[in-house]
Amino acid sequence: MPECLTNKKVLTKGNYAIANAAVLAGCQCYFGYPITPQSEIGEFMSGKMQELKRAYVSAESELAAINMVIGATSTGVKAMTSSSSCAVALMQEGLSYATADELPVVLVSVMRGGPGLGNIYPSQGDYFQATKGGGNGDYKLIVLAPSTVQECVDLTYKAFYLAHKYKNPTVLLADGLLGQMMEPVEFYDYPYPEIDNSKWALTGAKGRDGRIIRSYAPLADNQCVFLEKLFQKYKTIEENETEWEEINTEDADIVLVSFGSTSRNVKTAMKLLREKGLKVGFFRPITLFPFPTKRLAELSKTAKKFVTVEVNMGQMVNDVRLAVNGACPVELINKGVGAPPSAQEIVSRIEAL
Amino acid sequence: MERNFKIAGFGGQGVLLAGEVLANAFMLAGLNVTWYPSYGAEMRGGTVNCEIVMSDEEVSEVNKSDTDFVVALNQASFDKFLATIKKGGWMIANSSLIKEIKTRADINYLFAPISKLAEEVGNIKMANILALGLVAKASKLISIENLEKALDNVIPTHRKNLLPLNIKALKIGYEYDLLHV
Repeated sequence: MPECLTNKKVLTKGNYAIANAAVLAGCQCYFGYPITPQSEIGEFMSGKMQELKRAYVSAESELAAINMVIGATSTGVKAMTSSSSCAVALMQEGLSYATADELPVVLVSVMRGGPGLGNIYPSQGDYFQATKGGGNGDYKLIVLAPSTVQECVDLTYKAFYLAHKYKNPTVLLADGLLGQMMEPVEFYDYPYPEIDNSKWALTGAKGRDGRIIRSYAPLADNQCVFLEKLFQKYKTIEENETEWEEINTEDADIVLVSFGSTSRNVKTAMKLLREKGLKVGFFRPITLFPFPTKRLAELSKTAKKFVTVEVNMGQMVNDVRLAVNGACPVELINKGVGAPPSAQEIVSRIEAL
Repeated sequence: MERNFKIAGFGGQGVLLAGEVLANAFMLAGLNVTWYPSYGAEMRGGTVNCEIVMSDEEVSEVNKSDTDFVVALNQASFDKFLATIKKGGWMIANSSLIKEIKTRADINYLFAPISKLAEEVGNIKMANILALGLVAKASKLISIENLEKALDNVIPTHRKNLLPLNIKALKIGYEYDLLHV
Protein backbone atom coordinates (compact mmCIF):
# COMPACT_ATOMS: atom_id res chain seq x y z
CA MET A 1 0.00 0.00 0.00
CA PRO A 2 1.58 3.27 -1.06
CA GLU A 3 2.09 6.11 1.37
CA CYS A 4 0.98 9.02 -0.71
CA LEU A 5 -0.31 11.61 1.72
CA THR A 6 2.07 14.21 0.37
CA ASN A 7 2.10 17.23 -1.85
CA LYS A 8 4.77 15.92 -4.18
CA LYS A 9 4.18 14.16 -7.48
CA VAL A 10 3.72 10.42 -7.05
CA LEU A 11 3.03 7.54 -9.39
CA THR A 12 -0.05 5.73 -8.19
CA LYS A 13 -3.04 3.66 -9.24
CA GLY A 14 -6.40 5.30 -9.82
CA ASN A 15 -7.88 3.35 -6.92
CA TYR A 16 -5.21 4.52 -4.48
CA ALA A 17 -5.53 8.07 -5.83
CA ILE A 18 -9.27 8.04 -5.12
CA ALA A 19 -8.80 6.62 -1.64
CA ASN A 20 -6.04 9.05 -0.79
CA ALA A 21 -8.04 12.00 -2.08
CA ALA A 22 -11.04 10.89 0.01
CA VAL A 23 -8.84 10.89 3.11
CA LEU A 24 -7.51 14.35 2.24
CA ALA A 25 -11.08 15.55 1.60
CA GLY A 26 -11.81 14.76 5.22
CA CYS A 27 -13.78 11.55 4.81
CA GLN A 28 -14.42 10.38 8.37
CA CYS A 29 -16.05 7.02 7.66
CA TYR A 30 -15.49 4.35 5.02
CA PHE A 31 -17.80 1.37 4.71
CA GLY A 32 -17.29 -1.22 2.02
CA TYR A 33 -17.09 -4.76 0.81
CA PRO A 34 -14.25 -5.77 -1.54
CA ILE A 35 -14.78 -6.37 -5.24
CA THR A 36 -12.42 -6.24 -8.22
CA PRO A 37 -11.48 -3.87 -9.86
CA GLN A 38 -11.72 -1.42 -6.93
CA SER A 39 -10.46 -3.46 -3.97
CA GLU A 40 -7.39 -1.23 -3.49
CA ILE A 41 -9.70 1.53 -2.24
CA GLY A 42 -10.83 -0.55 0.72
CA GLU A 43 -7.30 -1.87 1.22
CA PHE A 44 -5.90 1.67 1.47
CA MET A 45 -8.72 2.81 3.74
CA SER A 46 -8.37 -0.17 6.06
CA GLY A 47 -4.89 1.01 6.99
CA LYS A 48 -5.09 4.78 6.66
CA MET A 49 -8.43 5.37 8.40
CA GLN A 50 -7.30 3.40 11.44
CA GLU A 51 -4.00 5.28 11.50
CA LEU A 52 -5.92 8.60 11.49
CA LYS A 53 -8.40 7.38 14.13
CA ARG A 54 -11.26 7.57 11.65
CA ALA A 55 -13.83 4.85 11.01
CA TYR A 56 -13.29 1.92 8.66
CA VAL A 57 -15.86 -0.85 8.61
CA SER A 58 -15.57 -3.92 6.43
CA ALA A 59 -19.29 -4.42 5.88
CA GLU A 60 -20.95 -7.81 5.62
CA SER A 61 -22.52 -6.86 2.28
CA GLU A 62 -22.94 -3.93 -0.08
CA LEU A 63 -26.49 -3.52 1.16
CA ALA A 64 -25.12 -3.03 4.66
CA ALA A 65 -22.35 -0.72 3.42
CA ILE A 66 -24.68 1.77 1.72
CA ASN A 67 -26.99 1.81 4.75
CA MET A 68 -24.00 2.45 7.01
CA VAL A 69 -23.13 5.45 4.83
CA ILE A 70 -26.73 6.64 5.19
CA GLY A 71 -26.40 6.38 8.96
CA ALA A 72 -23.05 8.17 9.08
CA THR A 73 -24.00 11.00 6.71
CA SER A 74 -27.23 11.64 8.66
CA THR A 75 -24.95 12.96 11.41
CA GLY A 76 -23.41 15.41 8.90
CA VAL A 77 -19.96 13.81 8.60
CA LYS A 78 -18.23 13.03 5.34
CA ALA A 79 -18.65 9.33 4.63
CA MET A 80 -18.34 7.08 1.62
CA THR A 81 -18.46 3.63 0.16
CA SER A 82 -16.93 2.20 -2.99
CA SER A 83 -17.86 -0.75 -5.14
CA SER A 84 -18.29 -2.04 -8.66
CA SER A 85 -21.12 -2.80 -11.07
CA CYS A 86 -22.90 -5.95 -9.87
CA ALA A 87 -22.35 -4.87 -6.27
CA VAL A 88 -23.42 -1.26 -6.88
CA ALA A 89 -26.61 -2.91 -8.12
CA LEU A 90 -27.21 -4.02 -4.53
CA MET A 91 -26.96 -0.41 -3.34
CA GLN A 92 -29.72 1.01 -5.51
CA GLU A 93 -32.39 0.94 -2.82
CA GLY A 94 -30.07 2.79 -0.43
CA LEU A 95 -29.28 5.45 -3.03
CA SER A 96 -32.97 6.13 -3.61
CA TYR A 97 -33.52 6.45 0.15
CA ALA A 98 -30.46 8.68 0.58
CA THR A 99 -31.75 10.95 -2.16
CA ALA A 100 -35.14 11.20 -0.47
CA ASP A 101 -33.42 11.77 2.88
CA GLU A 102 -31.21 14.40 1.20
CA LEU A 103 -28.00 12.91 2.53
CA PRO A 104 -24.47 13.69 1.27
CA VAL A 105 -23.58 10.10 0.40
CA VAL A 106 -20.44 9.62 -1.71
CA LEU A 107 -20.22 6.44 -3.78
CA VAL A 108 -17.20 5.50 -5.86
CA SER A 109 -18.33 3.17 -8.64
CA VAL A 110 -15.49 1.51 -10.56
CA MET A 111 -17.23 -0.13 -13.49
CA ARG A 112 -16.54 -3.68 -14.71
CA GLY A 113 -18.18 -5.91 -17.27
CA GLY A 114 -21.85 -6.82 -16.94
CA PRO A 115 -24.70 -7.68 -16.92
CA GLY A 116 -24.90 -10.14 -14.04
CA LEU A 117 -21.60 -11.13 -12.51
CA GLY A 118 -20.00 -10.27 -15.88
CA ASN A 119 -16.24 -9.99 -15.63
CA ILE A 120 -13.59 -7.81 -14.03
CA TYR A 121 -12.43 -5.97 -17.14
CA PRO A 122 -13.04 -2.25 -17.76
CA SER A 123 -16.48 -1.22 -18.93
CA GLN A 124 -18.76 1.79 -19.17
CA GLY A 125 -21.86 -0.36 -18.90
CA ASP A 126 -23.12 1.40 -15.78
CA TYR A 127 -23.76 4.80 -17.33
CA PHE A 128 -27.47 4.03 -17.04
CA GLN A 129 -27.10 2.63 -13.54
CA ALA A 130 -25.41 5.84 -12.37
CA THR A 131 -27.39 8.45 -14.27
CA LYS A 132 -30.84 6.87 -14.48
CA GLY A 133 -30.67 4.84 -11.31
CA GLY A 134 -32.04 1.48 -10.32
CA GLY A 135 -33.81 2.69 -7.22
CA ASN A 136 -37.47 3.64 -7.06
CA GLY A 137 -39.04 7.01 -7.55
CA ASP A 138 -38.03 10.32 -9.09
CA TYR A 139 -34.46 11.05 -8.16
CA LYS A 140 -31.09 11.90 -9.64
CA LEU A 141 -27.56 11.30 -8.49
CA ILE A 142 -24.79 13.78 -9.22
CA VAL A 143 -22.35 11.80 -11.41
CA LEU A 144 -18.72 12.75 -12.07
CA ALA A 145 -16.64 10.89 -14.66
CA PRO A 146 -12.83 11.15 -14.44
CA SER A 147 -10.64 10.30 -17.44
CA THR A 148 -7.17 10.39 -15.85
CA VAL A 149 -5.70 9.39 -12.51
CA GLN A 150 -5.20 13.08 -11.71
CA GLU A 151 -8.89 13.66 -12.36
CA CYS A 152 -9.66 10.77 -10.01
CA VAL A 153 -8.13 13.01 -7.32
CA ASP A 154 -9.75 16.26 -8.47
CA LEU A 155 -13.22 14.79 -8.85
CA THR A 156 -13.10 12.85 -5.56
CA TYR A 157 -12.64 16.19 -3.80
CA LYS A 158 -15.45 17.60 -5.88
CA ALA A 159 -17.73 14.64 -5.12
CA PHE A 160 -17.52 15.32 -1.39
CA TYR A 161 -18.09 19.03 -1.96
CA LEU A 162 -21.12 18.66 -4.24
CA ALA A 163 -22.66 15.93 -2.07
CA HIS A 164 -22.59 18.25 0.93
CA LYS A 165 -23.41 21.44 -0.93
CA TYR A 166 -26.57 19.95 -2.42
CA LYS A 167 -27.28 17.25 0.18
CA ASN A 168 -27.53 14.72 -2.62
CA PRO A 169 -25.81 11.38 -3.18
CA THR A 170 -22.88 11.82 -5.56
CA VAL A 171 -21.17 9.16 -7.63
CA LEU A 172 -17.60 9.14 -8.86
CA LEU A 173 -17.96 6.93 -11.93
CA ALA A 174 -14.60 5.41 -12.84
CA ASP A 175 -13.82 2.08 -14.50
CA GLY A 176 -11.40 -0.83 -14.25
CA LEU A 177 -8.89 0.84 -16.52
CA LEU A 178 -8.68 3.99 -14.41
CA GLY A 179 -8.75 2.00 -11.19
CA GLN A 180 -5.88 -0.26 -12.18
CA MET A 181 -3.63 2.05 -14.17
CA MET A 182 -0.89 4.20 -12.69
CA GLU A 183 -0.08 7.78 -13.65
CA PRO A 184 1.80 10.59 -11.94
CA VAL A 185 -0.54 12.63 -9.74
CA GLU A 186 -0.30 15.58 -7.43
CA PHE A 187 -2.29 15.69 -4.24
CA TYR A 188 -3.18 18.99 -2.63
CA ASP A 189 -5.27 20.24 0.26
CA TYR A 190 -9.05 19.93 -0.09
CA PRO A 191 -9.83 23.02 -2.17
CA TYR A 192 -13.52 23.55 -1.31
CA PRO A 193 -15.20 25.35 1.57
CA GLU A 194 -16.63 23.22 4.37
CA ILE A 195 -20.44 23.15 4.29
CA ASP A 196 -22.35 23.98 7.46
CA ASN A 197 -24.47 20.94 8.35
CA SER A 198 -25.56 22.23 11.74
CA LYS A 199 -29.13 23.05 10.64
CA TRP A 200 -30.09 19.50 9.77
CA ALA A 201 -27.57 16.95 11.02
CA LEU A 202 -28.57 14.45 13.70
CA THR A 203 -26.12 15.32 16.44
CA GLY A 204 -28.16 14.57 19.56
CA ALA A 205 -31.02 16.87 20.58
CA LYS A 206 -29.22 18.49 23.51
CA GLY A 207 -30.62 22.02 23.96
CA ARG A 208 -32.79 21.87 20.86
CA ASP A 209 -35.82 20.05 19.49
CA GLY A 210 -35.32 16.60 18.04
CA ARG A 211 -34.94 16.13 14.30
CA ILE A 212 -36.14 13.34 12.06
CA ILE A 213 -34.63 12.34 8.73
CA ARG A 214 -36.96 10.08 6.81
CA SER A 215 -38.26 9.46 3.32
CA TYR A 216 -41.79 8.45 4.31
CA ALA A 217 -44.46 10.97 3.29
CA PRO A 218 -47.92 9.58 4.01
CA LEU A 219 -49.79 12.62 2.66
CA ALA A 220 -49.89 12.89 -1.14
CA ASP A 221 -49.74 16.69 -1.13
CA ASN A 222 -46.64 16.77 1.05
CA GLN A 223 -44.83 14.44 -1.31
CA CYS A 224 -45.75 16.66 -4.27
CA VAL A 225 -44.24 19.65 -2.47
CA PHE A 226 -41.13 17.66 -1.63
CA LEU A 227 -40.66 16.45 -5.22
CA GLU A 228 -41.05 19.98 -6.59
CA LYS A 229 -38.41 21.18 -4.15
CA LEU A 230 -36.13 18.25 -4.99
CA PHE A 231 -36.36 18.94 -8.71
CA GLN A 232 -35.85 22.67 -8.17
CA LYS A 233 -32.57 21.60 -6.57
CA TYR A 234 -31.69 19.51 -9.63
CA LYS A 235 -32.38 22.54 -11.81
CA THR A 236 -29.98 24.58 -9.71
CA ILE A 237 -27.37 21.83 -10.01
CA GLU A 238 -27.82 21.82 -13.80
CA GLU A 239 -27.36 25.58 -13.95
CA ASN A 240 -24.33 25.71 -11.67
CA GLU A 241 -22.40 22.50 -11.93
CA THR A 242 -22.49 21.22 -15.51
CA GLU A 243 -18.92 20.59 -16.60
CA TRP A 244 -17.35 19.38 -19.85
CA GLU A 245 -14.22 19.60 -21.97
CA GLU A 246 -14.32 20.48 -25.67
CA ILE A 247 -11.57 20.80 -28.24
CA ASN A 248 -11.79 21.91 -31.88
CA THR A 249 -15.58 22.02 -31.83
CA GLU A 250 -15.96 25.53 -33.34
CA ASP A 251 -15.58 24.48 -36.97
CA ALA A 252 -16.26 20.77 -36.51
CA ASP A 253 -18.41 18.85 -38.99
CA ILE A 254 -18.18 15.75 -36.81
CA VAL A 255 -18.22 16.02 -33.01
CA LEU A 256 -16.92 12.97 -31.15
CA VAL A 257 -18.55 12.59 -27.74
CA SER A 258 -17.03 10.32 -25.12
CA PHE A 259 -16.62 10.17 -21.34
CA GLY A 260 -14.21 8.60 -18.86
CA SER A 261 -11.21 6.50 -19.83
CA THR A 262 -12.51 5.90 -23.37
CA SER A 263 -12.31 9.63 -24.09
CA ARG A 264 -8.50 9.46 -23.92
CA ASN A 265 -8.31 7.40 -27.12
CA VAL A 266 -11.11 9.42 -28.69
CA LYS A 267 -9.15 12.63 -28.17
CA THR A 268 -6.18 11.04 -29.94
CA ALA A 269 -8.46 9.82 -32.75
CA MET A 270 -9.72 13.40 -33.16
CA LYS A 271 -6.13 14.63 -33.56
CA LEU A 272 -5.36 11.89 -36.14
CA LEU A 273 -8.50 12.77 -38.11
CA ARG A 274 -7.57 16.47 -38.03
CA GLU A 275 -4.15 15.56 -39.44
CA LYS A 276 -6.00 13.91 -42.32
CA GLY A 277 -7.81 17.18 -42.94
CA LEU A 278 -11.19 16.22 -41.52
CA LYS A 279 -12.97 18.81 -39.41
CA VAL A 280 -13.49 16.78 -36.26
CA GLY A 281 -14.08 18.03 -32.72
CA PHE A 282 -13.91 16.39 -29.31
CA PHE A 283 -16.49 16.74 -26.56
CA ARG A 284 -16.21 15.10 -23.13
CA PRO A 285 -18.94 15.39 -20.51
CA ILE A 286 -17.25 15.51 -17.09
CA THR A 287 -20.54 15.65 -15.19
CA LEU A 288 -22.90 12.94 -16.49
CA PHE A 289 -25.61 14.40 -14.33
CA PRO A 290 -25.93 17.27 -14.86
CA PHE A 291 -25.42 16.37 -18.52
CA PRO A 292 -24.14 19.16 -20.83
CA THR A 293 -27.37 19.06 -22.83
CA LYS A 294 -27.49 22.80 -23.56
CA ARG A 295 -23.98 22.95 -24.98
CA LEU A 296 -24.54 19.91 -27.20
CA ALA A 297 -27.76 21.49 -28.47
CA GLU A 298 -25.79 24.64 -29.37
CA LEU A 299 -23.15 22.59 -31.19
CA SER A 300 -25.85 20.75 -33.14
CA LYS A 301 -26.61 24.03 -34.94
CA THR A 302 -23.20 23.96 -36.65
CA ALA A 303 -22.11 20.31 -36.59
CA LYS A 304 -23.22 17.89 -39.30
CA LYS A 305 -22.91 14.74 -37.25
CA PHE A 306 -22.26 13.52 -33.70
CA VAL A 307 -20.54 10.23 -32.95
CA THR A 308 -20.44 8.87 -29.41
CA VAL A 309 -17.76 6.36 -28.49
CA GLU A 310 -18.50 4.12 -25.52
CA VAL A 311 -17.43 0.81 -24.01
CA ASN A 312 -20.98 -0.51 -23.63
CA MET A 313 -23.77 -1.32 -26.05
CA GLY A 314 -24.77 2.35 -26.42
CA GLN A 315 -25.97 4.25 -23.35
CA MET A 316 -24.78 7.87 -23.34
CA VAL A 317 -25.66 8.01 -27.03
CA ASN A 318 -29.31 8.31 -25.93
CA ASP A 319 -28.61 11.46 -23.92
CA VAL A 320 -26.68 12.93 -26.83
CA ARG A 321 -29.63 12.16 -29.12
CA LEU A 322 -32.00 13.90 -26.69
CA ALA A 323 -29.71 16.93 -26.58
CA VAL A 324 -29.31 17.12 -30.35
CA ASN A 325 -33.06 16.53 -30.71
CA GLY A 326 -33.00 15.46 -34.35
CA ALA A 327 -30.95 18.42 -35.59
CA CYS A 328 -28.39 16.02 -37.11
CA PRO A 329 -27.55 12.30 -36.99
CA VAL A 330 -26.01 10.80 -33.85
CA GLU A 331 -24.03 7.62 -34.50
CA LEU A 332 -22.51 5.14 -32.09
CA ILE A 333 -19.08 3.52 -32.12
CA ASN A 334 -18.84 1.01 -29.33
CA LYS A 335 -17.29 -2.09 -27.87
CA GLY A 336 -19.11 -4.24 -25.33
CA VAL A 337 -16.45 -4.54 -22.64
CA GLY A 338 -12.70 -4.25 -22.10
CA ALA A 339 -10.06 -1.61 -22.73
CA PRO A 340 -11.32 1.11 -25.10
CA PRO A 341 -10.98 0.68 -28.88
CA SER A 342 -7.62 2.00 -30.08
CA ALA A 343 -7.36 5.48 -31.59
CA GLN A 344 -6.60 3.88 -34.96
CA GLU A 345 -9.67 1.66 -34.75
CA ILE A 346 -11.84 4.68 -33.91
CA VAL A 347 -10.36 6.54 -36.90
CA SER A 348 -11.09 3.62 -39.25
CA ARG A 349 -14.64 3.22 -37.97
CA ILE A 350 -15.35 6.94 -38.34
CA GLU A 351 -13.99 6.90 -41.89
CA ALA A 352 -16.28 3.93 -42.61
CA LEU A 353 -19.43 5.69 -41.36
CA MET B 1 7.94 11.66 -28.82
CA GLU B 2 6.04 8.69 -27.45
CA ARG B 3 7.39 5.19 -26.77
CA ASN B 4 5.82 2.17 -25.13
CA PHE B 5 7.24 -0.81 -23.29
CA LYS B 6 5.76 -4.21 -22.56
CA ILE B 7 7.31 -6.16 -19.69
CA ALA B 8 6.13 -9.74 -19.46
CA GLY B 9 6.92 -12.97 -17.65
CA PHE B 10 5.71 -15.56 -15.15
CA GLY B 11 3.61 -14.40 -12.22
CA GLY B 12 6.21 -13.95 -9.48
CA GLN B 13 9.05 -12.69 -11.69
CA GLY B 14 8.26 -9.13 -10.66
CA VAL B 15 7.20 -7.74 -14.01
CA LEU B 16 4.58 -5.41 -12.52
CA LEU B 17 7.14 -4.04 -10.07
CA ALA B 18 9.74 -3.59 -12.80
CA GLY B 19 7.14 -1.68 -14.80
CA GLU B 20 6.36 0.49 -11.81
CA VAL B 21 10.04 1.32 -11.38
CA LEU B 22 10.39 2.17 -15.07
CA ALA B 23 7.26 4.36 -15.00
CA ASN B 24 8.54 6.12 -11.87
CA ALA B 25 11.85 6.80 -13.59
CA PHE B 26 10.07 8.45 -16.52
CA MET B 27 8.01 10.53 -14.09
CA LEU B 28 11.24 11.62 -12.35
CA ALA B 29 12.59 12.65 -15.75
CA GLY B 30 9.62 15.02 -16.05
CA LEU B 31 7.79 12.99 -18.69
CA ASN B 32 4.18 11.91 -18.86
CA VAL B 33 3.72 8.21 -18.31
CA THR B 34 1.05 5.54 -17.81
CA TRP B 35 1.39 2.04 -16.39
CA TYR B 36 -1.33 -0.49 -17.12
CA PRO B 37 -1.25 -4.12 -15.97
CA SER B 38 -2.80 -7.20 -17.43
CA TYR B 39 -5.15 -8.11 -14.65
CA GLY B 40 -7.57 -10.92 -14.56
CA ALA B 41 -8.12 -14.45 -13.42
CA GLU B 42 -4.51 -15.64 -13.74
CA MET B 43 -3.29 -18.95 -12.37
CA ARG B 44 -0.07 -19.26 -10.41
CA GLY B 45 2.67 -19.78 -12.98
CA GLY B 46 0.61 -18.04 -15.66
CA THR B 47 1.88 -15.06 -17.61
CA VAL B 48 1.53 -11.49 -16.49
CA ASN B 49 2.47 -8.27 -18.22
CA CYS B 50 2.27 -4.53 -17.98
CA GLU B 51 2.52 -1.73 -20.48
CA ILE B 52 4.33 1.54 -19.87
CA VAL B 53 3.76 4.45 -22.22
CA MET B 54 6.01 7.49 -21.90
CA SER B 55 5.54 10.72 -23.78
CA ASP B 56 6.75 14.29 -23.74
CA GLU B 57 3.15 15.25 -24.55
CA GLU B 58 -0.14 13.86 -23.25
CA VAL B 59 -0.03 10.06 -23.44
CA SER B 60 -2.07 9.30 -26.56
CA GLU B 61 -3.57 5.99 -25.51
CA VAL B 62 -3.28 3.15 -23.04
CA ASN B 63 -3.22 -0.52 -24.05
CA LYS B 64 -1.68 -0.08 -27.49
CA SER B 65 -1.74 -2.87 -30.02
CA ASP B 66 1.95 -2.54 -30.97
CA THR B 67 5.08 -1.99 -28.93
CA ASP B 68 8.49 -0.30 -29.20
CA PHE B 69 10.25 -2.38 -26.53
CA VAL B 70 9.27 -5.83 -25.30
CA VAL B 71 11.01 -7.32 -22.27
CA ALA B 72 10.28 -11.06 -22.22
CA LEU B 73 11.35 -12.90 -19.09
CA ASN B 74 9.95 -16.27 -20.15
CA GLN B 75 9.30 -18.22 -23.36
CA ALA B 76 5.51 -17.75 -23.31
CA SER B 77 5.91 -13.97 -23.21
CA PHE B 78 8.48 -14.07 -26.01
CA ASP B 79 6.11 -16.08 -28.19
CA LYS B 80 3.10 -13.93 -27.34
CA PHE B 81 4.59 -10.49 -27.93
CA LEU B 82 7.19 -11.00 -30.68
CA ALA B 83 4.68 -10.20 -33.43
CA THR B 84 3.52 -7.00 -31.71
CA ILE B 85 6.93 -5.29 -31.90
CA LYS B 86 7.07 -2.33 -34.25
CA LYS B 87 9.52 -2.34 -37.12
CA GLY B 88 12.85 -1.16 -35.70
CA GLY B 89 11.70 -1.98 -32.17
CA TRP B 90 13.41 -4.18 -29.61
CA MET B 91 12.94 -7.65 -28.17
CA ILE B 92 14.89 -7.87 -24.92
CA ALA B 93 14.76 -11.52 -23.94
CA ASN B 94 15.90 -13.60 -20.98
CA SER B 95 18.01 -16.25 -22.70
CA SER B 96 18.20 -18.24 -19.45
CA LEU B 97 14.63 -19.31 -20.20
CA ILE B 98 14.13 -18.41 -23.87
CA LYS B 99 15.53 -20.07 -27.00
CA GLU B 100 17.71 -17.72 -29.04
CA ILE B 101 15.85 -17.85 -32.32
CA LYS B 102 15.61 -14.75 -34.49
CA THR B 103 12.68 -15.04 -36.88
CA ARG B 104 12.23 -11.33 -37.60
CA ALA B 105 14.78 -9.33 -39.57
CA ASP B 106 13.08 -5.98 -38.98
CA ILE B 107 13.60 -5.72 -35.21
CA ASN B 108 16.54 -5.67 -32.80
CA TYR B 109 17.07 -8.69 -30.58
CA LEU B 110 18.88 -8.51 -27.28
CA PHE B 111 19.28 -11.93 -25.72
CA ALA B 112 20.87 -11.85 -22.27
CA PRO B 113 20.92 -14.55 -19.58
CA ILE B 114 18.95 -12.32 -17.22
CA SER B 115 18.07 -15.00 -14.64
CA LYS B 116 21.64 -16.33 -14.55
CA LEU B 117 23.11 -12.83 -14.18
CA ALA B 118 20.66 -12.11 -11.35
CA GLU B 119 21.71 -15.30 -9.58
CA GLU B 120 25.30 -14.14 -9.84
CA VAL B 121 24.31 -10.82 -8.26
CA GLY B 122 23.07 -12.88 -5.37
CA ASN B 123 19.33 -13.27 -5.88
CA ILE B 124 17.40 -14.59 -8.88
CA LYS B 125 14.50 -12.34 -7.78
CA MET B 126 16.55 -9.38 -9.04
CA ALA B 127 16.06 -10.52 -12.66
CA ASN B 128 13.28 -7.99 -13.18
CA ILE B 129 15.41 -5.04 -12.08
CA LEU B 130 18.46 -6.31 -13.92
CA ALA B 131 16.33 -6.32 -17.07
CA LEU B 132 15.63 -2.62 -16.56
CA GLY B 133 19.37 -1.97 -16.80
CA LEU B 134 19.27 -3.60 -20.23
CA VAL B 135 16.23 -1.50 -21.17
CA ALA B 136 18.06 1.69 -20.19
CA LYS B 137 21.10 0.71 -22.24
CA ALA B 138 19.20 -0.43 -25.32
CA SER B 139 16.59 2.34 -25.38
CA LYS B 140 18.79 5.31 -24.39
CA LEU B 141 15.53 6.82 -23.12
CA ILE B 142 16.15 6.72 -19.39
CA SER B 143 19.15 7.34 -17.15
CA ILE B 144 20.47 4.87 -14.61
CA GLU B 145 20.31 7.67 -12.01
CA ASN B 146 16.56 8.10 -12.46
CA LEU B 147 16.09 4.33 -12.28
CA GLU B 148 18.00 4.30 -8.97
CA LYS B 149 15.78 7.08 -7.60
CA ALA B 150 12.75 5.24 -8.91
CA LEU B 151 13.80 2.10 -7.03
CA ASP B 152 13.99 4.17 -3.88
CA ASN B 153 10.46 5.46 -4.57
CA VAL B 154 9.01 2.02 -5.14
CA ILE B 155 10.75 -0.16 -2.56
CA PRO B 156 8.71 0.15 0.66
CA THR B 157 10.33 1.30 3.91
CA HIS B 158 10.47 -2.17 5.46
CA ARG B 159 12.34 -3.54 2.42
CA LYS B 160 14.86 -0.72 2.05
CA ASN B 161 17.65 -3.15 3.00
CA LEU B 162 17.22 -4.63 -0.48
CA LEU B 163 17.91 -1.32 -2.22
CA PRO B 164 21.71 -1.74 -2.63
CA LEU B 165 21.32 -5.21 -4.15
CA ASN B 166 18.67 -3.89 -6.57
CA ILE B 167 20.92 -1.05 -7.62
CA LYS B 168 23.74 -3.55 -8.15
CA ALA B 169 21.47 -5.66 -10.38
CA LEU B 170 20.41 -2.57 -12.30
CA LYS B 171 24.06 -1.69 -12.99
CA ILE B 172 25.01 -5.22 -14.03
CA GLY B 173 22.18 -5.07 -16.56
CA TYR B 174 23.24 -1.63 -17.72
CA GLU B 175 26.86 -2.62 -18.09
CA TYR B 176 26.06 -5.84 -19.97
CA ASP B 177 28.04 -5.64 -23.17
CA LEU B 178 25.55 -5.26 -25.99
CA LEU B 179 28.33 -5.93 -28.49
CA HIS B 180 28.54 -9.60 -27.66
CA VAL B 181 24.83 -10.00 -28.25
